[in-house]
Amino acid sequence: MTKTQMTRKDYLLDQKQKGRHIFGVFPAQYPKELLWAMNVVPAEIWDPPVEITAANAHLQPYICSVVRFGLELVLEGKCDFLDGFLFPHTCDSIQNMASVIHDYIGANKPCYFFYHPKNPHGKAAREYYVLELKNLMRSLEKQLGPLNPDALKQRIQQGHKISSLFGEFYDLRAKGELDVGNGEFYEQIRRGEYLFPDDLIPELEGFLARNKGKGEKRLMPVILSGVLPNPPEILTLFDELGVRVSHDDLLIGSRRLLVPPSNLKDPFKQLAESYFSMPPCSTKGAPIVKRREYLLSLIKATGAKGVIFNVVKFCEPEWFDVPNLTDELKKRGTPTLVLDTELNQGLSGQMKTRVEAFVEMIS
Amino acid sequence: MRLWRFKGLSMTYFAGIDIGSLTTEVVILDSNADMLSYSINLTGADCNEAVDQALGQALSRAGLSRDQLSFIVATGYGRVTIPFSDKKITEISCHGTSAHHLFPDTETVIDIGGQDSKVIRIDKEGKVLDFTMNDKCAAGTGRFLEVMAGAFRVSLEDFGQLSLKAEREIPISSVCTVFAESEVISLIAQNQAREDIIRGLHSSVVNRIWNMVQTVGVHGAVTMSGGVAKNRGVVVLMEEKLGKPIHIHTEPQIMGALGAALLAKRHFLQEK
Repeated sequence: MTKTQMTRKDYLLDQKQKGRHIFGVFPAQYPKELLWAMNVVPAEIWDPPVEITAANAHLQPYICSVVRFGLELVLEGKCDFLDGFLFPHTCDSIQNMASVIHDYIGANKPCYFFYHPKNPHGKAAREYYVLELKNLMRSLEKQLGPLNPDALKQRIQQGHKISSLFGEFYDLRAKGELDVGNGEFYEQIRRGEYLFPDDLIPELEGFLARNKGKGEKRLMPVILSGVLPNPPEILTLFDELGVRVSHDDLLIGSRRLLVPPSNLKDPFKQLAESYFSMPPCSTKGAPIVKRREYLLSLIKATGAKGVIFNVVKFCEPEWFDVPNLTDELKKRGTPTLVLDTELNQGLSGQMKTRVEAFVEMIS
Repeated sequence: MRLWRFKGLSMTYFAGIDIGSLTTEVVILDSNADMLSYSINLTGADCNEAVDQALGQALSRAGLSRDQLSFIVATGYGRVTIPFSDKKITEISCHGTSAHHLFPDTETVIDIGGQDSKVIRIDKEGKVLDFTMNDKCAAGTGRFLEVMAGAFRVSLEDFGQLSLKAEREIPISSVCTVFAESEVISLIAQNQAREDIIRGLHSSVVNRIWNMVQTVGVHGAVTMSGGVAKNRGVVVLMEEKLGKPIHIHTEPQIMGALGAALLAKRHFLQEK
């Protein structure tokens, strides 16, 4: 069976058999390159297809479903084969879930915590970020042995390559020169959430070679903003309505994947420079002005006719920004649609009506 | 697409079918966009049966048969279930279109239907500029009022009139239909005046809609559509909030179907 045909679980088990360490990584921003360099396969946990039952006992009703699904996965024992967890400090809810798993339930495996500076433009932010990277490295070394500096440099190069390939994905998509529907596009994007770079790079290259230059340019371009494209049925609906997501401002998408390379010599400073040059993100405390400018730049570059905010219910960092962003976009004549979504709940008739009405409005 | 020829003249007829959660409406227009007939039927459990019945009635009242219709547009939540429609268009576009057709100065449409509510902003041509819809629950919809009227054992027609007779308003704290019904039953048990409770229930609906109105903003003249527009209690409270009168068609329940029929005519001419 080829890696492309393997399920996520089969792939991770295969990697484990090959001697790699498998870590469950919760959203959203973390130094993948450092984990790769230590022979760790980070398997990101966003929206696993489980039925939530046990997690509800630990979480208040106003906690988002990313956290709810992640905790359920752990409680159901579906993470037992993992060698560790990494909890980036993305928001209060993920921080509290880390505490529930580590302090109360007991994960029975190593847990690592990664704190980002929440004031990314402060003077000390880069220094703090580099210190956090080194703290994480030292913690990991206790379990996995010393970091090979050359391996880190090699993985950083692979990270640049992956980002450049994703950049090409988005450029072609923007021009309508990628011959895939919305669902297939994001399926490929999301393979990066668990494939090791040695496998991801050839897969992305193959995908580009197969689909480059044959896209449908006449489809209605829109920008998709939010955390992730879930429920996946929304992407199918876009296809049915002749809508092309011409670019995105998704946390699982352009906000994390378009990482500008750095020429600094020190690999930790390189990682820090790249981190601070990525597109603005609510989970990194990016100023609203930067987020607005980013969205406007995507609209201008792709000729998008509107912006759809597909926001996970109770996602605090996202919802803080949405009213301001929609107001600003409307003032500039860009139609917006806001969808309040529960993950893995399918597409309700009402949600479908909203999307269809929005498409009628911008047509 | 069908073209009906009558006495040597091209006669074209259009139908708009609005399959809502509670009722199904059909409007038949002629080529001058004059309404020949309409019908309103309960949707029930079988959309197709409801459509057959409603369309049959409307056609019969217009003296037409189904094959004389040149273009049919289906709208409403059940639009996807109608196999014979020429086009499916959302109720948001349809309500905007009919409001503009009936009251050309309209820029804001408030539609309160059986199980959803919408506020729609349209431009001077009737094109939708912005809209919002209620959440996934039935608070602020016709169904909410229907359940509450049932708790008082009064008809929906009387329910709105009773609200206007209130001496004061008893606020209802819950927006959930089920919890609000329990609250109402407790208030009835406390011998509170039913008019005052009913006024509180109407305020609860209006406040819910008002939040949506503020999301879209009030622009120009306001038109109300949907079955709840027949409820004077809701209309009066909404007019107080808006500080201006609201346009209401004599049969606001058919505005979705009317918009669908108008769009049927437009699409027929475009495709021709």
